[in-house]
Amino acid sequence: MLCERCKIREATIQYTEVVNGIKKEHNFCTQCAKEMNFGEVSAIFDSEFPFAKILSALLGEEGKEENADFSQIVCPNCHTTYQEFVNNSMFGCPDCYEVFDLLIGDSIKQLQGSDQHKGKHPKYGVKIVPQSAADKMSTEADQKKETDQTQEKGKAVSGKPDAEGAEKAQELRLLRKKLNQAVKDEQYEIAAACRDSIRALEKKTDKKSAENSGKGGGKNA
Amino acid sequence: MLKWYEQVSMEPDNNYISSRIRLVRNWNEYNFPNKLDVITGGELVERLEFGLKDLGKMEKEEFLSTTTDKIPETERLAMKERRIFNSAIAGKASPTGLMLSESEDISIVFNGDDHIRMQLLAPNEELNELIKKADKLDDYVNARFSYAFDEKYGYLTSFPTNVGTGMRANVVVHLPALSEGKQFPNLIAGMTRFGVTIRGVYGEGRENYGAFYDVSNSKTLGMSEREILDLVSKVASQLNSQENQVREMSLKNHRTERQDEACKSYGLMKYARKLSMRDALTFLSQVMAGISDGIIETKMPCSLYKLVLGIQPNNLLMKQNGPQDKDNLDILRADYIRKELPELKEEMNG
Repeated sequence: MLCERCKIREATIQYTEVVNGIKKEHNFCTQCAKEMNFGEVSAIFDSEFPFAKILSALLGEEGKEENADFSQIVCPNCHTTYQEFVNNSMFGCPDCYEVFDLLIGDSIKQLQGSDQHKGKHPKYGVKIVPQSAADKMSTEADQKKETDQTQEKGKAVSGKPDAEGAEKAQELRLLRKKLNQAVKDEQYEIAAACRDSIRALEKKTDKKSAENSGKGGGKNA
Repeated sequence: MLKWYEQVSMEPDNNYISSRIRLVRNWNEYNFPNKLDVITGGELVERLEFGLKDLGKMEKEEFLSTTTDKIPETERLAMKERRIFNSAIAGKASPTGLMLSESEDISIVFNGDDHIRMQLLAPNEELNELIKKADKLDDYVNARFSYAFDEKYGYLTSFPTNVGTGMRANVVVHLPALSEGKQFPNLIAGMTRFGVTIRGVYGEGRENYGAFYDVSNSKTLGMSEREILDLVSKVASQLNSQENQVREMSLKNHRTERQDEACKSYGLMKYARKLSMRDALTFLSQVMAGISDGIIETKMPCSLYKLVLGIQPNNLLMKQNGPQDKDNLDILRADYIRKELPELKEEMNG
């Protein structure tokens, strides 16, 4: 089928429009699609980074209504804003993954087909975020009197996964997902409950790991 | 020392051109490159280069160590054409470090899209060998710099499209016969469902000059390195064997036509005074297919793939002494091919 706009090139993009319940289908070639304005979805037709920008398109479309609230979220470490991330599909630092996790976790899953790493782990420096970075985070938090978000981060960081830890991590993940959904649905009471359980669980994991490391030391001695 | 691309062999049933593994990693002491100012970026590059200065000893190969701003633009673009780095890095203004092995098979870019981009290239299908080398190199770097890693998301990268393993595995296959078929687009579309991206290497839009196809994994998260590798090599091997079947048929039924095609292409390249990119790639592709099928033979075994890279615009301009004249690229290309084209065996001329 030829592109209905230029009538020269082959149409490769099917664009479905629903206005007041009336569905219209259009067929365009990539070039015309690029020239026309499809709002946030246009990022897909950008020739520079088509694959990377798909995420921008997804987030832009999905998050339009929530964007007003979300756009105020800023990574405390590198000051990347949510809006900046949506525009460039680029994180500014390792901490961004944690800061924006609730907002983009689902999109990453859509993009990658999974949200759980499998495969190689670093051989050296297994600490998930180095102490130096964690310290830096907390001093910054002190300076800025940041809210518990950063402290929460610090705790999550020190929680090292073991057999039991993996289970906990899975539970945490589910809770975070639930929290995300609750925020999306504006069910703030449920969200608050989730947040509290996440915190409690994280505290537990922390204590456990501290105990475990103590035990381990005793055995060696 | 021979470059890796001078070692690409052309044998029957082997349509693999090259293999590549790329790993991206970030050092957890710095923000990602897009959030680094010029001074911090420069410092990062210096520290990384200093930390890895003995890499040559480990790899038993000489390494060139430089920053991209010290490389003239044409040479930088020529390096991009030889796949040493991508266009984003070639065009980057901020300080970007480069360590490049003598045979150009190993390159490490610092402060590109990510802090550390390690790339290993090899002639033909060598993914299994490459992953071992990549793993070793990764550990070597990791012993000196601790990585940004997350239990859930794996190796953290600036683009969410690289997160997880941070690994991209590519195999380039030469499919001159298979890609002629009407069903070829469907075949490619079907294969991409398994989670691979298949792209024509040269050409614009739907055209692919020379029929070189690049197979790579689309996803980096949720699959282990081994699974990625198996997927890419399985798809590449499928394409390779399908190409073999079509070529075998064409040899059986149209041997003279195939020989005619390969010889004509050779003759055109040998005597042409102007060659466009499209023509040159098409002719080279036909001669390459002829050589691997044994219907034409060169005096000495050689790699024509070297010419595929050599005829790219910036690689041509680099070889030219004196002022660089972009308008005469077609003439430069024909001159270069006449000089480099290997001679055919005596009986072929008869």
